[in-house]
Amino acid sequence: MKKILAIALVAFIAVFSVFAGGASEEAPSTLKIGFIGPLTGDNANYGIRCSNAARLAINEINAAGGVNGMQLELIAEDSQGSVDRAISSYEKLAYTDNVVAIIGPVFTSPALAVAQRCFEDGVVMISPSATHKDVTALGDWVYRTVPSDSLQSEVAAHYFYEVLGYRNIACLYAMNDYSQGLAEGVEDTFTSLGGTITSMQTCMVGDRDFRTQLGEIRATNPEAIYIPNYTVEDAQILEQASQLGMNIPFLSSDGFSDPEIYNLAGDFTDGVIYVGPAQAEASTILVDFQAAYSEAYNGDAPDSFATNSYDATYILRDALTRVFENGGDLADIDAFRASVNDEVKATDDFEGANGIINFAANGDMVASQGVYDVEGTTPVYVGSFQVVDNHIVQVD
Amino acid sequence: MNTLIQYLQYFLNGITLGAIYALIALGYTMVYGILKFINFAHGDILMIGAYTGLFTYLALLGESTNAAWMLISFFIAMLVSMVFCAVLGMFIEKIAYKPLRNANRLAPLLSAIGVSFILSNGAAWMFGTQSRRFPYPFDDTPIVIAGLSITPHQILTIVVSIIMMIVLTSFVNKTRMGKAMRATSLDQPTSELMGIDVNRVISMTFAIGSALAAVGGILASFDFRVYASMGTMTGLKAFVAAVIGGIGNIQGAMLGGIILGILESVGAPLLGIPSALRDTIAFATLIIILLVKPDGILGKNEREKV
Repeated sequence: MKKILAIALVAFIAVFSVFAGGASEEAPSTLKIGFIGPLTGDNANYGIRCSNAARLAINEINAAGGVNGMQLELIAEDSQGSVDRAISSYEKLAYTDNVVAIIGPVFTSPALAVAQRCFEDGVVMISPSATHKDVTALGDWVYRTVPSDSLQSEVAAHYFYEVLGYRNIACLYAMNDYSQGLAEGVEDTFTSLGGTITSMQTCMVGDRDFRTQLGEIRATNPEAIYIPNYTVEDAQILEQASQLGMNIPFLSSDGFSDPEIYNLAGDFTDGVIYVGPAQAEASTILVDFQAAYSEAYNGDAPDSFATNSYDATYILRDALTRVFENGGDLADIDAFRASVNDEVKATDDFEGANGIINFAANGDMVASQGVYDVEGTTPVYVGSFQVVDNHIVQVD
Repeated sequence: MNTLIQYLQYFLNGITLGAIYALIALGYTMVYGILKFINFAHGDILMIGAYTGLFTYLALLGESTNAAWMLISFFIAMLVSMVFCAVLGMFIEKIAYKPLRNANRLAPLLSAIGVSFILSNGAAWMFGTQSRRFPYPFDDTPIVIAGLSITPHQILTIVVSIIMMIVLTSFVNKTRMGKAMRATSLDQPTSELMGIDVNRVISMTFAIGSALAAVGGILASFDFRVYASMGTMTGLKAFVAAVIGGIGNIQGAMLGGIILGILESVGAPLLGIPSALRDTIAFATLIIILLVKPDGILGKNEREKV
C-alpha cells in the first residue's frame, strides 16, 4: 500500500513538474514589475499609497500601448513593514515571478535587507521612500526616488539653526533605522554648527505613551522638539504634549507628509514645520498625477512617497523601452535585468512629478529639500533648500 | 522643586496607565482563581470592547454636538460594550474552553491562544488595521495646577476604575453569587457537592472579567487609540500586573496594575536609562518580584481567591 502511494506521489510530482516546466518556457506576454511594501498593519497607509501610485502609472502606460508592445503587470507583495516578510516577498518576486525590477521596499529596515539581496542576485530595486543613508551604500542595482537621510537631516539641521534661529532643540525618536538615522544626522550637523541638543529621547516603534519622554524633554527647556517618526507615533506625541500643557514648537521629517496625521491629530498639527521632498515648480505632471490618483482611489490624496513611487514606475518604463531598443531579450532574465540596471543608471534629466530626476553614482537621487509649515491641517510650502558651502540656500 | 513636579507628573501618568492595567488584570486573575488557567484571549476581548464602544458611541452621537448627550452616549456605549463583551466572553468559554475542562492543562491554554488570533485577525479583516481615534466625549483641555497637568480623560479613567473595583469587591464579598465564586475557587468538587452550579459560576466569572476588559479597552483607547492588535501588548502587561500582585487575588491585580503603570512611567528617568527600555524595566521587575516572592505581592496560598 505504502509503495503504491509512494509511486503515485512520485508520478504526481513528475507530471506536475513537467507542467510547471512547460509553463515557464512559454515566452511571457507581460513585463512583471514587483512591489514590496506594507499593505496591512499600522503603517499600511504608506505601502498602499505607494502601490496605488505604481499601479496608476502602470495602467496609464498600458493604456498607451505598454512597452515594446508588451503590457506591464504590477505584482504587489505585503511586507507588513518587517524585514523577514520583505525577504520572503523578494524571493517570491525574484525567483518565482521573475520580475524585471522591483519598486520598494517602502521602509528603511526592509530596504536595507532587500538591497543586499538585489545586489547579490542582480535585480534592480528602486525604493520610493527608504531614506537611510546606507540603503544605497552597496553602490549598484539599488536606486531611490527619495532623497537620502543624510541630505534631509543636513538641510533640516541647517534650516533649524540658520533660518529658524534655534540654538537648543531636543529630539524624540523611535528606535528604527529611519527615525534614528534622521535624529542622529540632525544631532551631528546641529552640534557642528554650534547648537545644542538638550535631550535625545527614545521610544520603541508601537509605543503609545510618550509622556515620560516629553516630561524629560521639558525639564531641559529646549526651544523646539524634533520628532522624525512615522504618523502614529507623531500623532500621539503631539496630542500628549498638548495634554501636558507643553507649548513648544515641533519639527518633523518627511514621515509627516502623510495626510493620515491630520485624521489622527488634526487638532495639534498647527505650527509644525517639517522638512520633506522638494516640490517641482508648477509641474503639470504633479498636478495631473494628483488629480488622476484622487480620481482612481476614491478621492484619497497621494503622499510624497506615492509621488516618488509614480516617478519610479515611469523611470522603469523609460529604462525598459531603451532596453528593448538595444535588443534586450526576456528569454535570458539575468542579462535582461543587467541591461535594465544599465539603463536606469543612464537616466538623464527624467521629468517626473517631482521635477527633474538624476541619479548620483551610488544610485541616490540628486535633489534639494522642501520645507513645509503646517497651518491648521494644511501644509504650506515654504520653499526648496540646499546646503552649499555649509550654508543653507533657498533654491526657489 | 522642578524635579519634584516632574516626577509627580510621571507618577500621575503612571497611575492612569496602571488603572487601565488593573481593570484588565482583574479578568486574568478571576479566571485563574477559578479555573487555574490563563485566558490569553482576554487582551483581545478588550480590543473588541474598544471597537464596540467606539462604533456604538459614534452611532448614538450622529451629528450631535450637545455636551450632555455626548457624555450620556459615552456611558451608554460603555454599557453596550460591557454587555456585548460579557456575552462574547461566556460564548468563548462555552465553545473553546468548556469542552476542554478535563483535558490536559495545556489544551485550554492553546485554545485560548487560538481564540486570541481569531479575534485580532478577524478585527483586522473587518475593521482594517489602521488606528482610529476615540473622540473625547467632553472637552479634554488639560487642567494645570502648579505645573502639574491632568486631563479630564485621565480623571475619568481613574474614577471609573475605582468605581468598577469597588463594585466588584462588594459583589464578590457581599452577594450569594460572590460567595459561590469564592467557594468554587477554593474547592471546585466540594462546592459542586454543596449544590453550587459550578458551570454558572464559571460563566459569570467570564462575563464579569470580559465586561471589565471592555471598560479597560474603552479607557485605554483614549491613550492608545483603537486598533486590531491593541490587546496584545496591553493584555500581556495586564497579565504581568496580575502575576506581580499575586494571580488569583483580586486586590493583588489592582495593586499589580498600579505598580506596573507607575514603574513604566517613573522607572526609566529614575534609573537614567533610555525610555525605549521602559518595558524592559517592567518585565525585569516581574522577574525580581517572582524571585523574591513567587506567589506575587499579595499571593498567599491560604488566602481566599476568586
